[in-house]
Amino acid sequence: MAGSSTGPPEGPRGRPTRWRVPGARTARGFYRVLRANVLSFVGFVLVVAIVLVAVVVALDPNLIVPFGSTQETGVYNSPPTLFRWPPSFAHPFGTDGASLDLYSEVLLALPLDLGIALAIAGFALLSGGTLGLIAGYYDRPGTIGGALSAVILRTTDVFLAFPSLLLGLAIVAALGPGLWQVMLAVLLTWWPYYVRLVRGEVLAVKHLPYVTAARAAGVSERRILLRHVLRNVLEPVVVYFTLDVGTVLVTFSTIAFVIPGVVSYPRPPEWGSMLSFFNLNYPISQYWWEVAFPSAAIFVTALAFSLLGDGLRDVLDPRTRRALVESVAAPNPPPEGPMIVAPPAAVGGPTALEAG
Amino acid sequence: MTEPVLSVEHLSVDYQIATGLVRAVDDVSLTIPTGRVVGIVGETGCGKSTLAQAIPRLLPEPPARIASGRIVFRGTDLVGVPARRLPMVRGTGIGMIFQEPLNSLNPAIRVYDQLAEAVLIRRWREAGILPSFRGGPEPFDYSHRPLPRPSEVLSKPVVPSGPVAEGPRRRLPGRSEVRKEVLEFLRLVRIQDPETILDRYPHELSGGMRQRIMIAMALSERPSLLIADEPTSALDVTIQAQVLTLMKELIDEAHASILFISHDFGVIAEIADDLGVMYAGRLVELGPVAEVFRSPRHPYTRGLLRAIPERYKSDGPLAAIPGSVPNLARLPTGCRYHPRCPLAREVCRVDPPPDLAPVGRTAEGQPHRSACHFPEEVAGLP
Repeated sequence: MAGSSTGPPEGPRGRPTRWRVPGARTARGFYRVLRANVLSFVGFVLVVAIVLVAVVVALDPNLIVPFGSTQETGVYNSPPTLFRWPPSFAHPFGTDGASLDLYSEVLLALPLDLGIALAIAGFALLSGGTLGLIAGYYDRPGTIGGALSAVILRTTDVFLAFPSLLLGLAIVAALGPGLWQVMLAVLLTWWPYYVRLVRGEVLAVKHLPYVTAARAAGVSERRILLRHVLRNVLEPVVVYFTLDVGTVLVTFSTIAFVIPGVVSYPRPPEWGSMLSFFNLNYPISQYWWEVAFPSAAIFVTALAFSLLGDGLRDVLDPRTRRALVESVAAPNPPPEGPMIVAPPAAVGGPTALEAG
Repeated sequence: MTEPVLSVEHLSVDYQIATGLVRAVDDVSLTIPTGRVVGIVGETGCGKSTLAQAIPRLLPEPPARIASGRIVFRGTDLVGVPARRLPMVRGTGIGMIFQEPLNSLNPAIRVYDQLAEAVLIRRWREAGILPSFRGGPEPFDYSHRPLPRPSEVLSKPVVPSGPVAEGPRRRLPGRSEVRKEVLEFLRLVRIQDPETILDRYPHELSGGMRQRIMIAMALSERPSLLIADEPTSALDVTIQAQVLTLMKELIDEAHASILFISHDFGVIAEIADDLGVMYAGRLVELGPVAEVFRSPRHPYTRGLLRAIPERYKSDGPLAAIPGSVPNLARLPTGCRYHPRCPLAREVCRVDPPPDLAPVGRTAEGQPHRSACHFPEEVAGLP
């Protein structure tokens, strides 16, 4: 490798220096841990593939979507697509009641559905997480923080009192049809779960001895909150978020399915509304592809994130991470821990403390 | 003798619980002179740990509340310090070592970052970026400082000679400097090859190593008082011995006084100069450790010492103090120890014993105090 133009740059004395990509070691560790568990690795691969496809479709649908541009304009290539045509080579998923190619539709809907799921779960994570952090950390009664956290928690209780799907449907009914309205409805029902989760975790962490130890070391409260509490709360929250992306997707699609026309199919294409577009007066057994393929898309995407979420739990916990990496990657045993020196005289020379 | 590092005067700490107030520490007074190790022993629930955490004001308030008394640390009453100023007191004056070495280090942060945080905070204080605790009733107010007279300015050399360490450093430490200092503190607690553990997480280290890192963290703030709350209880005996040896050596190197909380007389005998015995929230005996061991002046201390198993003889059951620790919410009248005390009489049931009164002196003139109605009769107990 050394000396070739594609190899690492040469250091002094002709020795190749290692490529230094920030985070490369961590990334490699993550990959190894994910690989250790078959299911979570499958989830990881699926998520990567789904995200890649979504990005490509979002950038230029014509690259991989067979009828991408023609479905946009309604001008079809020959032969013209057919009304409710079963799966064939030309139309792998068949065509639907508007004689649109379902395979193209499912692909075109991917960036939208994935983006909605990530955005809703992400907003819920940020808003609910911040509120939960405040409610959990500043919970001393009789202070401003205590009053604030009481308000946050009681508001959360109100939202949690209703089943989220029911509340979402009610909000959509009040707001009227439209993509943004449905997103807002799901978001409004979603953040309280993050408040609950984060607050619970913060309450558990903030009384642990290492937080007291940090306080004893003179670390300021804000720094304790961000560095010692938040860092240890993050792991279950990120796992929950990943699992949640699939749930948001299912909920959103459900609302779009239950209220026909709430997302104005066929534009923009969306998996839930594709199902709802199928007129139930037709026998499903006869036109099964119209229901099967959009449902399968929802199922696979939700499943992929759930599997990945399970694996992330292992990745994010330093205990399991190190153990798994070593069990997978290292054929040789891990290095021995440093020994403790018994005779202190050898190291008792001039020390930092003598100055103080 | 010089001024003590810490003097606790008539300190009482209450806990607010559902049924009312519980007094966990009741009217405790003790002083820790510079360079001495004061040990506190007592049974579980006698208020040792509450006392340890009340001194640097680490108790969560509420439910805990300092009901009365003073905690004078380097001339400042910590009871009166407002909460927002507490971090600077804790960081620069009082170091803490905790009981559970596993939970006392943040599991998500590498060893290096844990130590670097403590080092950096001290450096920031020294550089004047964070406010620092200087003792005295109030931190010195620089806004009203009179300008130096010209003669003072002129008499100073332009280029300072000698050690530069004088006065606060106005420079932020660089990365390598912090790293060097972290390694130095790790070597100080006798960790060989400290470079190898910098990148490790706490769970990858043994209990003894973790406790050493805790000690290094506490020392890296250069405290003048170290509060060790049962630092060796969770360790096995060999590691315990190593940590104790280390702490004894560090007392000399770090010029720190130590308040050492334990329930183990063996550990206390090993490390402490003075010994206080706590029972049900009160200090019942206080004196030089050898004196207390040789001639205890409180029946409770006597009972505890008798309960230490001697060697590995199997000559009958172990000696024990009859009865159990009283519930702090329903304390007995008079002397708290009277239901279990072999010396108890009518007066013990009615009158609380005198405050820690000197009942004798060592050859060096150090008082030996006891809170008992009949301290002379303790020696006559079987």
